Amino acid sequence: MKAVLLALLLMLTHGARAAEPDPAMIEAARKEGSVVWYSTLIINQIVRPMVDAFEAKYPGIKVEYSRSSSSDVALKIVNEARARRVQSDLFDGSNTVFLLRDPRLVTAYAPKAAAAWPAELRSEDGTWTALNIFYWTAAYNTDLVKPEDAPKTYDDLLDPKWKGRIAWTYDLTPGGPPGFVHNILSTMGQEKGMAWLRRFAQNEPVTIPGAQRVVLDHVISGEYPLCVMILNYHAAISMKAGAPVRWLKMEPLLQTMGLVSITGNAPHPNAARLMVEFMLSEEGQKVLADNDYIPAHPGVPARIPELKPDAGGFRVNLVTPEMARDDTADWTAIYKDLFR
Amino acid sequence: MNVAAADPRVAIAVIVGVVLVALMVPPLWMLLQDSVTTTDAFGDVTGLTFQHFQKLLIEKRALSSLVNSLEFAAGSTVLSLVTGGALAWLVERTNAPLKVLAYLVAIISMGTPYVLHVIAWLFLLGKIGPLNDLWRQVTGETGVLFNVNSMPGMILIEGFLWSPLVFLLLGSTFRAANADMEEAARMSGASVLDTLRRISLPLAMPSLLALALFVFIRAIGGFEVPALVGMPGRIYVLTTDVYESTVTVPPDLGHAAAFSVVMVVIVAVLLAFYGRLSKNAERYHSITGKGYRPRPFDLGRGRWIAGGLIVLNFVVVLLLPLLTLAWMSLLPFLRSISLAGFASLTLKNYRAVLTAPGYIGLAMNSLIVAAGAATAIMAITSLAGWIAARNGPGGRILDQLATLSLVFPGICLGVAVMEVWLRVPLPVYGTLWIIGIAYVIRYMPFGMRYIYSGVLQLHRELEEAAGVAGAGTLTTLRRVVAPLLTPALVAGWLFIFLIANKELAIAVLLASPRSQVIAVAIFDQWVNGQGGELAAFGLIWTVLMTIIATVFFVFTRRGGVDVHGN
Repeated sequence: MKAVLLALLLMLTHGARAAEPDPAMIEAARKEGSVVWYSTLIINQIVRPMVDAFEAKYPGIKVEYSRSSSSDVALKIVNEARARRVQSDLFDGSNTVFLLRDPRLVTAYAPKAAAAWPAELRSEDGTWTALNIFYWTAAYNTDLVKPEDAPKTYDDLLDPKWKGRIAWTYDLTPGGPPGFVHNILSTMGQEKGMAWLRRFAQNEPVTIPGAQRVVLDHVISGEYPLCVMILNYHAAISMKAGAPVRWLKMEPLLQTMGLVSITGNAPHPNAARLMVEFMLSEEGQKVLADNDYIPAHPGVPARIPELKPDAGGFRVNLVTPEMARDDTADWTAIYKDLFR
Repeated sequence: MNVAAADPRVAIAVIVGVVLVALMVPPLWMLLQDSVTTTDAFGDVTGLTFQHFQKLLIEKRALSSLVNSLEFAAGSTVLSLVTGGALAWLVERTNAPLKVLAYLVAIISMGTPYVLHVIAWLFLLGKIGPLNDLWRQVTGETGVLFNVNSMPGMILIEGFLWSPLVFLLLGSTFRAANADMEEAARMSGASVLDTLRRISLPLAMPSLLALALFVFIRAIGGFEVPALVGMPGRIYVLTTDVYESTVTVPPDLGHAAAFSVVMVVIVAVLLAFYGRLSKNAERYHSITGKGYRPRPFDLGRGRWIAGGLIVLNFVVVLLLPLLTLAWMSLLPFLRSISLAGFASLTLKNYRAVLTAPGYIGLAMNSLIVAAGAATAIMAITSLAGWIAARNGPGGRILDQLATLSLVFPGICLGVAVMEVWLRVPLPVYGTLWIIGIAYVIRYMPFGMRYIYSGVLQLHRELEEAAGVAGAGTLTTLRRVVAPLLTPALVAGWLFIFLIANKELAIAVLLASPRSQVIAVAIFDQWVNGQGGELAAFGLIWTVLMTIIATVFFVFTRRGGVDVHGN
């Protein structure tokens, strides 16, 4: 309901016309003719559909893209800037922009399309705007665990019957064990949280050397009955394909965001802005939703609406990019100390 | 050496040396710099530090990790040498049947992307794999017979990954071995085993040692198997921490660089040690001017046992992993081999792969870069390896230069190459060239080992005879050494071509929007957990690689025979 109201509000204050980019910008972008996007997103699933939609709307502007991890993208941007051979115009990633705290690496730009979004979805200084949202939670294999036996709360994870049977990723980012550590400490408080984590460590969660999606696949295949720190929409996609898996509303779920930014000294600055405006517009956000991602736009529902907190009725704990930037190392240290 | 002043080898050594220095030293310099400095967000150096090296020492469990590393490296070296070596001897030196299967194993498993091998093995031996499934059904137990996430599991998988390389390298050694001595032994009444122990093995010793050293170094610096197989079982080796430091955010490249520097030093010491051993290598030269083609042993009835071993190798190293991949590729999501699984078989993954746009472009780029890199490496190493194996001017230095990159973690090498070539005012960065250059650096040691062992087999008297007949150094190289080295050249080229196409870390880092290679697609599917699509894609790619490799192989075998005048 709140989402619908917000959507109405957005439409009233920023009607479809108002969100349209400035014609002068479109013209300047056309003159530039192309735009280069360094992405961390999956090419076949979202990069290409987004590029196709953009190129259809703005013929004459070609989008070139490549994909690698957040840290690879950051490495490239830093090294290209140092050599004064900047290749990219925009980039995305959950963790990329934290690595680039320098005006020579990121151009500040506050997209019109996101002007009315809640403050938590965009940066004050214009270095990033949320593109899509991630909700991290637990999931279980329905062939191996009966619904009534599945854990409901974090405390249920301490049951000795799960010893050595809970899988999680080796990814040391806010979307992995460090984020889990933060979620526990910030909801339970430092002291109780640490005590809880120590007990959880005694249950010996198994580190799967792979991304979160890979961890979920290990649960689907029956290798482990239970996992934590996976994405709710990944589980939903697999459920639709008939996989024996359910995601759990283990509250609070952890929320992180995929962010989009414009590269410092981008060679095609207008095309970069136009592309960012498009990706954050209702149209661009629908492309995300249609491809099973969870759009950041408050007025665009997920393809399965229950995957968002309002429609799904679950509480979340937000990791802001600032927290992620400043505290990930501390969370990681706690993880390494307790779980290795 | 008798005409040192006018020795054309000096000129060759200088030219090759300059090329090697230009390729290998700048990335090493970057690595050294990264290992002793701290930087700010813009990448500017902010100060000198030894904290990266300190961290290596004070890391939790530093000692147990070291012990694990040694055990892992030694175990997989022994396993790959025993399996690959035994197979090579059976195939090259005996009349065992079904030899073609052994080549099939070597070629196909080298064409299969590395990560697919590991995934297949993990499934095969894993908790829900057919092995443990069968055991549970037979015994009614609920646990596992074999825990793959253990030291034996790691050694098994790493050992099998290297055994095709050992097979191919030792194959060329055994093929070229002098038959006279073996036949003399047999005629003096020695049994096959005695001959093997007293003649064949000692003759192959320099190559064996070189290869053992090589596999050992690779295994001790290996990241993938310890991470993928060992980590869930909480078995940590030296490289696991370093691996972790490259995947954290932000990546702690200083830590990884410090580790690489330590490894480079260790390798330099090992190589120096090996250099002293191979000084006596003259004794082992067995391709002489006389009766070059060796005759195979007659194993008698034993040949069927040998055939059985070849079949066993074929089934274990090739067939089972491939069938596993086929199973994975036909499922909508991964599950154990069961009736329910059979009911859900689908071609969906193949359809997804074949209809996804852009793969043909990626495949073409990959083939071009891999072929280019393999050609460049073999051109450089055929000269460097010849000089090194002949203890020519600067030979030791050339060998060390060419082997420098052996232990760089992929990501460190990628970053170093990027840093270097962004500063060079040539339009290399952002094109396929930079990926090609990184491959040349990374795989140079492999080319070097192929050529080095190849040259060790050639008796110097062939070159001396050419010299006496009036040929200059260049003519001797062209007319005598090169033709005799052809099998080693071809095998090395093929090997580098195949493994370059499997490289992930470097290719993904250095690929730009206009220079994408197949690794990017594999990375996409792997990170995204599209195991089914990855398996389908990998199988299609493996078929393509196998066709290329087979054509090449058949062609060169025929060519090789002509060179030998048979």
